[in-house]
Amino acid sequence: MSHGHAKEFKVRWGMVVDVDKCTGCGACMVACQVENNISPMVRQDKENYLPSMTFERDDPSNKMRTLTWLMVYELSNRKDYPDHEVAFLPRPCMQCGNPACVPVCPVVATDKNEEGGIVSQIYPRCIGCRYCMAACPYHARYFNWFDPIWPKGMDKALSPRTSVRPRGVVEKCNFCHTRFLKAKERARQEGIDPNELPEGYYTPACVEVCPTGAITFGDLNNPEHKVHQLAHGKYAFRLLEKLGLDPQVYYLTKRDWVRKQGDNYLANEEPHAKKH
Amino acid sequence: MGLNRRRFITFAVGGAVGSLFTPVIWKLTDDVSIWTQNWGWIPRLKKGADSAVPTVSKLCASGCAVKVETVGGAPYGTKGNKDNPLSGGGICPLCASGAQLMNSPARVKGPMKKTGEGKYDPVSWDEALEVLAAKLKSAAGGDGKALFISGDDSGTANEVFSAFMAKLGQSGFYYMPGEAQAAGRAWRETMNGSGQVGFDIEDSDCVLFIGADALDSWGPTVRNQKAFDATHPLGAEAAAKYVYAGPVQTRTAAVCDKWVPVAPGGAAAFALGLAAILIKNGASASAADFAEFKSLVLAKFTPGQVEKMTGVKAAVLADVAKTLMEAQRPVVVPGALGGGAAGFAAGAALNVLLGRFNAKGGMVALPQAPKVVSGAMGPAQALGNDLAGYLAAVAAGKAKAPEVAMVYEANPVYALPQAETMSAGLAKAGFVVSFSTYLDETAAGADLILPAPHPYERFDDLQTPYGLGRFTYCLGAPVAEPQLDVRSTPDVILGLAAKLGQDLGFETFEDVLKAKVEAIGGNWDELAAGAAFTRSGQVSGGVSLGAATLGQAAFPAKATAPVAVAPVMRLNVGSGHVATPPHNPTTIRDTELKGSVMCVQVCKATAKQLGVSEGSKVKLTGAGGECKALVHVFEGVMPGVVAVPLGFGHTAWDEFSKGKGDNVNKILTARIEPGSGLTTWAGSTVNVAKM
Repeated sequence: MSHGHAKEFKVRWGMVVDVDKCTGCGACMVACQVENNISPMVRQDKENYLPSMTFERDDPSNKMRTLTWLMVYELSNRKDYPDHEVAFLPRPCMQCGNPACVPVCPVVATDKNEEGGIVSQIYPRCIGCRYCMAACPYHARYFNWFDPIWPKGMDKALSPRTSVRPRGVVEKCNFCHTRFLKAKERARQEGIDPNELPEGYYTPACVEVCPTGAITFGDLNNPEHKVHQLAHGKYAFRLLEKLGLDPQVYYLTKRDWVRKQGDNYLANEEPHAKKH
Repeated sequence: MGLNRRRFITFAVGGAVGSLFTPVIWKLTDDVSIWTQNWGWIPRLKKGADSAVPTVSKLCASGCAVKVETVGGAPYGTKGNKDNPLSGGGICPLCASGAQLMNSPARVKGPMKKTGEGKYDPVSWDEALEVLAAKLKSAAGGDGKALFISGDDSGTANEVFSAFMAKLGQSGFYYMPGEAQAAGRAWRETMNGSGQVGFDIEDSDCVLFIGADALDSWGPTVRNQKAFDATHPLGAEAAAKYVYAGPVQTRTAAVCDKWVPVAPGGAAAFALGLAAILIKNGASASAADFAEFKSLVLAKFTPGQVEKMTGVKAAVLADVAKTLMEAQRPVVVPGALGGGAAGFAAGAALNVLLGRFNAKGGMVALPQAPKVVSGAMGPAQALGNDLAGYLAAVAAGKAKAPEVAMVYEANPVYALPQAETMSAGLAKAGFVVSFSTYLDETAAGADLILPAPHPYERFDDLQTPYGLGRFTYCLGAPVAEPQLDVRSTPDVILGLAAKLGQDLGFETFEDVLKAKVEAIGGNWDELAAGAAFTRSGQVSGGVSLGAATLGQAAFPAKATAPVAVAPVMRLNVGSGHVATPPHNPTTIRDTELKGSVMCVQVCKATAKQLGVSEGSKVKLTGAGGECKALVHVFEGVMPGVVAVPLGFGHTAWDEFSKGKGDNVNKILTARIEPGSGLTTWAGSTVNVAKM
């Protein structure tokens, strides 16, 4: 796929996140790690331990080393007390219509060519060059600095849905793609066209557990799906829309300052007109 | 034919090009990429039937109704239970880690007996129970010789424990202090209320949270969040107004329509200031002490006086009062974080003045499930026992230390206010037994550890978790067989009772729960399949406005140090009972914890006053201890206040929480609240010194 000519899909899976409803509780981040077998950050690799040559691994407070496919950011309106406001913004992979990461991959380990518009990530093909990470303006991609290690016994609680990735590869949110496959399978069994999944058949883990209902998921192209209507609503915006990457993740807010930060505008700059 | 240079090159290039037309190279490349990513230490996934089994998870304080995802019968994930009103499909960040906590490295693997300082030997259950039975036998005779602390305030297991204690002739059955305990005691003793108080926020069009961080850590959090969800439809105008009043812009404040900063310890004064405005505007109540209440608030809680006590400007106070008066179905939800009766009673009195007691969308008195274990302590007595007050008295030598202390699903050594004093009180007990699933701080210092199964491995129940607006009962049945040598604590106690010649009327805890389900009129099979039993209806009867207590207790305590402390609980970090689960450290921001040092939050004005800036190392010193932290400047904290995170500073558990940050319970100051006699730590103050 060449840059600038987005492939057209009949189905575009997308998310609409209401920033005004997110409390930043973190349940979605936990559910994401559980679903996708992201290992807890342990300090020592006992399997590959060489005395005096093996360093302890980084602490989870070093956010350059964490694997957070879904990251909840804390936003501030940057005003002093008592006019201060705070908001929370969950950021999955934007599954851009015109992704910056795809054309830079030298080994085609990431692509956008499956019906549904989810940007793939093929771990065994990834050579860990991290060009895609440099290209992604949303910081949605993460590099496996360490082999995944579950403390003894915890590997019993691995999710059967997602393969475990070794160190040296890049990974990212794929809208819980195995749930998509499962939903299509269910549709086939029920005699429904898998390319016209009814709303609710396919739900990523974060959407499923969100206690405030801040995240909605569905087919952006399907007028019967709630996300279609929400993405065209007056409160909708997308992150860094001016870059033209056409993300499939929309946000809702009634707060102007949140919307303005969403496109990283300069203090004196006026937001551009919204594009869909 | 010799091999010259030209032939060699032709042969080599031809061979190389030719091999590209075979699958060998491509297959090898593919295999290499797979081989180099498949090492022996990279775990393989388990195969098997995938299912979702309903149960209850008691990892958070209130409990979540969950569905446990299993593969081949082994739990691996946890999601909410859509069919249960406690969840509505949502889940909290602690229970979301349920399956991981089931396999956590911090679990106690079997009964252990202390053999020296920090040294334990595994023992058999029979031997452990012999030891405990002998200790309890020698402690028989004379009240005060045994103590039972329960960290579960909604389970029928408490009936087994308190009945067992009663048969031993002991009245020392205590709940860990928390919202349910403080509100329950204030409701009964200060306001003469009956039943269990709750808040029907689902049906309210205006909710004022006073200090209750209801959308993150107060009460049945997920149900609160679902009520917020229902009244705040996506992309449309909200159907209810939510206001949060408290010293810190918490996660609840972040999504509320308005944040009203109120100084720590000022919640009661703020509520009474609102009451004064309501009364001036004609509000009245049929309570017997209305006249006393009216003269109290009109004389002592005028807008000017309230501003001095709470930092809330008169115009802001008037605006909040107007919001309440203009709403059709307002409700005030007072939090009691910090113990004491005043904060709760003042908020509850506001509901009465607004005519919102036992009204749809208001504050309600709910019926309680009948007791099934004879001799069990009633809620009035159990909620009335003040653990922090008792342990402080034991520590000070003013009360006799128990000979045997039993602790269930609680971590008093870590989680009580002024933690070092309280743990000194507990340490005076002759023999400490911990019925803990995890090696927490209390278990790590106990003489005997009798590990309890994880919630997914046992029978348990939830009886109307505090804060709900309807009578609700949920049952939890085991999802998986225990993998470790653990036994259900109520079953252990029932066995112990039989050993000591007691007859509690039941042989197993499952039988107790069956009797409970029958007593409430529920259906066991439906409840075990994840449904909730709910019943509408309230307990009628008048309440007082608590004027006599509020007249003494509603005034903020005199500051003993320059900076007021606002403890903030964030469920993803952990609760008093459960430390940070393995997957949660990545959800903690680097403005909350940096390496092994936690961050405390102050606004620019306070930072300037203290001579500190972003990243400064500070020491916070309270009456009972000190904490180390880094400063994070956050404008969502009132001036003169330092927001401190609860849930850090564990000294036991596992690498995901041990040694991370400091335990702020140490710097809270426990004192006796005038009027109610309850222990409170609201309005604690500290000295903040740059290190």
